[in-house]
Amino acid sequence: MSYKLKSDQGVILADLLAGQVTLMADQLRYSLRIKSQDRTAFTKACGIDLPNKIGQTIIQNDRMVFCVGPDEYILIDNPNLRETLKQKFEQLADKFVFSTTDISHRNIGFKLSGKQAARMINIGCPLDLSLETFPVGKCTRSVFESAEILIFRNKEDEFQLETWRSFAPYMARYFEKFCLENESL
Amino acid sequence: MLLIRCPYCQEERPEIEFSYAGEAHIARPLNPDDLSDESWAEYLFIRSNRRGLHYERWLHAHGCAQFFNALRDTVSDKFETTYKIGEARPQVKK
Ligand SMILES: [Zn+2]
Repeated sequence: MSYKLKSDQGVILADLLAGQVTLMADQLRYSLRIKSQDRTAFTKACGIDLPNKIGQTIIQNDRMVFCVGPDEYILIDNPNLRETLKQKFEQLADKFVFSTTDISHRNIGFKLSGKQAARMINIGCPLDLSLETFPVGKCTRSVFESAEILIFRNKEDEFQLETWRSFAPYMARYFEKFCLENESL
Repeated sequence: MLLIRCPYCQEERPEIEFSYAGEAHIARPLNPDDLSDESWAEYLFIRSNRRGLHYERWLHAHGCAQFFNALRDTVSDKFETTYKIGEARPQVKK
């Protein structure tokens, strides 16, 4: 199996009893840095809701905004909105001090689903993914083996996992191996 | 696995997400030009290297990406407490 990631986006990498691993389709991704005192004014000016606590996520249609640090957000949206968002941010540039970086091509997203999804992440990541400490809707940055990841729990048995493009083939093989080894589960 | 409480995330998180960043509460001299080579070298390199309770900086590198301070026992590796940058150092319980 080869991993030419660009052409494989949107395809299912492994679909076995233990779980399903999908490489997500192209997304628009932004890294946003906004001081907490400007958060409300920023939302008012451009209509993008920002969570106010680390680990929280806000979902509106295709848009997901993750709060990963006191002033740091990751925004994932429909790629059709690339120009619209770019223009919005440009209009705000003289109103607030903030930073937006287009990281669409830096990251790759995996969707892991099935009742073994949490276990699949835990082979490489020591976070406690029980529902009590990691409820549906929570997000965080962490590590998978040595690769930095962003984990988001969509549903009880579904996670979205973002990582840098260069780490993706390595992680894809890890998941594939897990699925093969746990086929009987 | 060692769990470290990040004062920004307000959670106990796996040690692998953190990196150590040296002794805490060492202020950079306001006017480095006024310092002798000896006192500049002292600021740069000389640390207390304490055996026992030690105030130190940590970075939640693969988490919220914030620096914070901790009080850790260098003998037992036990974290007594962690606190945000800018907060006063907690007193050592005798
Ligand atoms: Zn943290």
